[in-house]
Amino acid sequence: MKTRSWAILAATCAAMALGGAADAQQRSITISSWGGAFQKAQREAWFNLVEKELGITIKEETTQGIADVRAQVASGKPTWDLTTQGYYTCALLEREGRLEKLDPAIVADPGVPKELKSDHCMSQIVYSVAIGWRKKPFGDKQPRGWDAFWNVKDFPGGRSMRRHPIYSLEAALIADGVPMDKLYPLDVDRAFRKLESLKPHVVVWWASGAQSVQVLQDGEVEMVGAWNGRIQAAMADKEGRGGPLAITFDQQMMVSDAWMMPKGAPNKDLAMKALAIMMRPDAQASISKYINYAPANTKGYDTGIITPEMAAGLPNSPQNVGKGFTLDVDWWVKNNDEMVKRFDAFMQR
Amino acid sequence: MTAATAQGPNAAELRADARRERLVLGALAAPGLLLIGVVALAPIAWLFWLSVRKGDSYTLEHYARLLHSSYAYSLQTTFELTFLVTAICALLGYPLAYLIAQARQRTAAILLLFVLFPVWTSLLVRCYAWLVLLQRRGLVNTWLADAGLIDLPLRLVHNFTGTTIGMVHIMLPFMVLPLYATMRAIDRDYVRAAANLGATPSQAFRHVYVPLSLPGLAAGIIIVFILCLGFYVTPALLGGGRVMTWSMQIERNVTYHSDWGAASALGVVLLAMALAIFWAVGRVIGFNRILGGR
Amino acid sequence: MGEEQRRDGEALRRVHAALNHGRTAVPARAPGRPRHIRTREAAIGEASGGERGSGLPISITGIGKAYGAFKALDDVSLDVASGEFLTLLGPSGSGKTTLLMVLAGFQRPDCGRIRFGDDDVTLAPPHRRGVGMVFQNYALFPHMDVAGNLGYPLRLRGLGRSEIEERVRRALDMVQLSGLGARQVDQLSGGQRQRVALARAIIFEPRILLMDEPLSALDKKLREEMQIEVRRLHRRLGMTTVYVTHDQREALTMSDRVAVIDKGRFRQVGGPREIYERPGSRFIAEFIGESSFLPVELRGCEAWAGGARLMLSGGVPAMASPLLVLRPEKLRVLAPGEDGAGLNVLRGRVDELVYQGESTLFYVELPGGARIAARQAASASAPALPGVGGEVALALAPADTILVPDDA
Repeated sequence: MKTRSWAILAATCAAMALGGAADAQQRSITISSWGGAFQKAQREAWFNLVEKELGITIKEETTQGIADVRAQVASGKPTWDLTTQGYYTCALLEREGRLEKLDPAIVADPGVPKELKSDHCMSQIVYSVAIGWRKKPFGDKQPRGWDAFWNVKDFPGGRSMRRHPIYSLEAALIADGVPMDKLYPLDVDRAFRKLESLKPHVVVWWASGAQSVQVLQDGEVEMVGAWNGRIQAAMADKEGRGGPLAITFDQQMMVSDAWMMPKGAPNKDLAMKALAIMMRPDAQASISKYINYAPANTKGYDTGIITPEMAAGLPNSPQNVGKGFTLDVDWWVKNNDEMVKRFDAFMQR
Repeated sequence: MTAATAQGPNAAELRADARRERLVLGALAAPGLLLIGVVALAPIAWLFWLSVRKGDSYTLEHYARLLHSSYAYSLQTTFELTFLVTAICALLGYPLAYLIAQARQRTAAILLLFVLFPVWTSLLVRCYAWLVLLQRRGLVNTWLADAGLIDLPLRLVHNFTGTTIGMVHIMLPFMVLPLYATMRAIDRDYVRAAANLGATPSQAFRHVYVPLSLPGLAAGIIIVFILCLGFYVTPALLGGGRVMTWSMQIERNVTYHSDWGAASALGVVLLAMALAIFWAVGRVIGFNRILGGR
Repeated sequence: MGEEQRRDGEALRRVHAALNHGRTAVPARAPGRPRHIRTREAAIGEASGGERGSGLPISITGIGKAYGAFKALDDVSLDVASGEFLTLLGPSGSGKTTLLMVLAGFQRPDCGRIRFGDDDVTLAPPHRRGVGMVFQNYALFPHMDVAGNLGYPLRLRGLGRSEIEERVRRALDMVQLSGLGARQVDQLSGGQRQRVALARAIIFEPRILLMDEPLSALDKKLREEMQIEVRRLHRRLGMTTVYVTHDQREALTMSDRVAVIDKGRFRQVGGPREIYERPGSRFIAEFIGESSFLPVELRGCEAWAGGARLMLSGGVPAMASPLLVLRPEKLRVLAPGEDGAGLNVLRGRVDELVYQGESTLFYVELPGGARIAARQAASASAPALPGVGGEVALALAPADTILVPDDA
C-alpha cells in the first residue's frame, strides 16, 4: 500500500510538472473500501462500470475505519476521493467537519430513504441486525421478533447479542413493547432494565461477525441477534453441530455502509460523477448479484436485476422493508460514548 | 593505590590511556543504549505525552474518565484474573518444573519440549482449540455427558472460567521456564546434606529445596503476573464478552473511539501498576535475586 | 594401634563431657520433635550398643554397585574399627566416592550389607543413619547464615533454642570461627567454609564421619593446614572416619589405614607406612609415591636385575614376572672408592639433573637402556653428583629391595 501511495505521489508530481495538469489528473480517482469479498463485488458491480462510462481508472485502496479518514484529512492532502465507511462513522465525520459536501442532485434521489443520507453521506448498501436461530430445539415454532428473543420460557436456551449498546438497547425496548416508530430518543433506563432480565441467558456477547454465527453453528446458543448477511451465509454453509439455521426479518434493525468524500479530496468533480453512476438504480441493483447485500437505492428493486428469490433475502426489499426500522444514527452519534460506558459497567456488574 | 598517589614519570600518560579506554568502551556501548532508548523508552514517553494532551493543551481529562465505574470493574476483573491465573500457574508449574528438573537430561529435554510446544503455536489457534474443547457441545462436555457424570452441559467457556483455563495454558511455560532454570542449578548435595543432617525427604524439600528455588518462583510469578495484566486475546475470545480486561478497554478506546488519549492513559496506569508490583515483590525478595543474581 | 585408640577414646569422652556441660541426664522428648530421630543420646547410645562417645565400627560386606556394564563397586568388603581414620584412596572413577555414597545412604548398592556397630543400615535412608558428612563442595545452605547451617541438624533433633545457640557457639570455637555465626555463607573464605562444613558435620555428635575430598578446593598451603586440623579434631572426638581422596600424600599424612581402590576393588589395605614401604603390586607402587621399575629375572633361587644379582632381605618371592621397585630417595650415590658391600649396586650414566631446592632429582640410564630416577638430599655430607653423562653408582639396601608382581 505504501508503494502505491508513493507511486501516486510520483505520478501526481510528474503530471503537475508537465502542465495541462487538470486534464491528466482527471484520468483517475482513488477509492478505498473494506477489501475482501465486498470490495471485489464493488469492483464488479460499480468500478468497472464507472471506468467504462467515464474512461478513467479507479485506483483501489483499503481502509480499517475512521482513523484512516481522520489521518487523511489531518494531513491536508488526502489521496482518497471516495471512501466506504459505516453510516455511523460517516455521521461522526460529518459532525467533525472532515467531509466534502456531496452533489445535492445525487442526495436528492428519493430511492434512498432520508434516514440513510445526509449532505455529506450517501448510503451504498443496506444490511440489518436480525434474529437467527437453530431450528432443532424449536421445531415449527418461529420467534417473530425481539419479544420472542426475550421469551426464554417458550424459546428456551442460550442467547447471543452484540457486545455493544447499539442494537442491544433498541432490541430491549422493542421487546419491552415500545413501537418501532417511537423508539427515539431511546428510553435508556428502561432499555437497560429490560436487558438486565435477559442477561443471565446471554451466553456469549459477540465481538465480531464471525463469532456471532459461530456460536450458533456450534450449538453454543439457540438464538442470536446478528447481521443478516452473516446468518444467511451460515444457513448456506454446511450444517455445523448446531444443525439447520433460520432467520427472520421481523423487527430487523437496518443500517448501511455509505460513500463519503474526505475534505480536500484531489479529484472532487470526477469522483462526484463516479458516485452518481454508482448510485443509479441499475448499478445499485447489480451489487446484489455479487454479494449478499441490499442496494441502498430501493429503486434498484424495480430494475428487474434482482430476482424475487434474491429479494426475499434482502432486508430492504419491498416485502421485507416494512418489517423493521432504520437505526437513528444521529441519536447514536450524540449518545454513543455515554452508552458504551454504561453498557460496559452493566456487562461487568 | 589510587591514581592520585601515582607520581611516576609516566603516570599522566597512563591516566590518559585509561581515560581513552573508558571513552572507547562508552562509544561501543552507545548503540545499545541508543537502541534501548528508541525501542523501549521513547514509546513510553510518547504514551505518557498522549495521555495528558487534548488538542494543543495539557489535560488530566483522560485520567478523570477512568474514574467511571466501567473502568473500575475492568480493573477489578483484570486483577482477579491475574491473581488467579498466576496462583494456578505457580501451583501447577512448581511440581511440573520439579519433575523436569529431577528427570534425566534426555527425558527433561522431551518434557521441556512439551512445555514449550504451546509457545510455538499461534495464540489464536490455542484459544480456538480451547473453545472446541470447552464449549457446550465441546469434547469435555460430550465426554462428561457420555460418562454419565453430568446431565446438563457445564458452562466452561464464554465466561471467567474459560478465560482462566485458556490463560493458564498460555502462561504456564513462562512459569515453568525460570523455575526449571533455577531448580536445575540447585546442587543435589544441598538436599543430600539436609538428609544427612537428619531431615526427612519432606523436611529437606521444605527447608532447603523450596527456599533455594524461590528466586525462580518469584521470577515466574512476576513474568506471568505482568503478562496477565496486559493480556488481550484470550479474555476477548474465551470471555464471552463478559470478561472485560483493562487491555480490552484500551483496544475499545482505540478502535471504536479513535481515542488515543484515553487509551494512553489506560496504558500509563497499567504500566504504573506493573512497576509497582515489581517494586513490591523486589522489596520482599530482593531485586538481585529476581534479576538473576544469587 | 590398640593403645593409641584407647587414649583417643579417653580424649573423646573428655570432649563430649565438655560439650555437654557436664549434663548427664537424658532430656525429656521435646514436643514437636521429628519422630524419626531419637534423642541425641539415645541415637548414639543405642546404635552402638557400646559406651557413649566412641566411634562406631563399620562393616562393609560384599558390596556391589553397577551402572549398566560399568562396575563401580565389585564385591567390596572392609571393616573399619571404632575410632579409626580410614582413607579411601584411588584415581577418579575408581569407585571411592560411590562407596562413600553407599555408606551415607545416597546410593543403594546392588548387593552386600553395611553395618554400623551392631545395626544393619543397608536399607536405612540417609536421614536415619546419623552419620556426619563433609561434602566436596561443602553444601552449606546458601539461604542460611553460618549459625543457621550449624543449628540445622540440632533443630531437626528438637533441641531448644538456647541450647542450639550454646552448642553452635562452642562448635564455632572448636573450629576457630568464634563470632562468625551471623555471617552469610557467601561472605566466607574457602578455608572458613571448610571449617563450617566440618563443624556442621560433627555438631550433632555423629559417631561416624564421612568426608568426600573435603580439601580438594583449597590451595596447597591451606590444605596442609586443614589436614592437620582435621587430624587433630579426629583425635579429640574419636569418631570413626572414612575419608575419600585422590591425593596420595594427603592419604599418607592423615590416615590410620589407607584402602587403595581401583576399578571398584580394593587393591591394598594397610597402614600408610606399609602401603608406601611394602607396596603389594606395581599399581600401588606407581600410584603412591614415585617409583622406577626394573624387570627382574629369576634364575633358580636367585633374582637378577640391572645386570646384578639382588640381595633380598626376605628371600626370593614366588611370582610370575616380578619387578624391582626403586623409590628415588632410597637410592644412595656411592662415593668414589666406596665398594657398596652388602648393598645392591646399580651402575649407569647420569641422563638429566633437576635441582629442586631441598633435593636434586636425577635420572640414570643403566647399561640395558632402562632409565631410573634417584634423589639426593641437599646435604654437605653427600658425595658430589657427577654432571650429565658422568658415571654413577647407586646403592640400595636389601631391606629396601622390594619385588612386586607386574599387574599394570
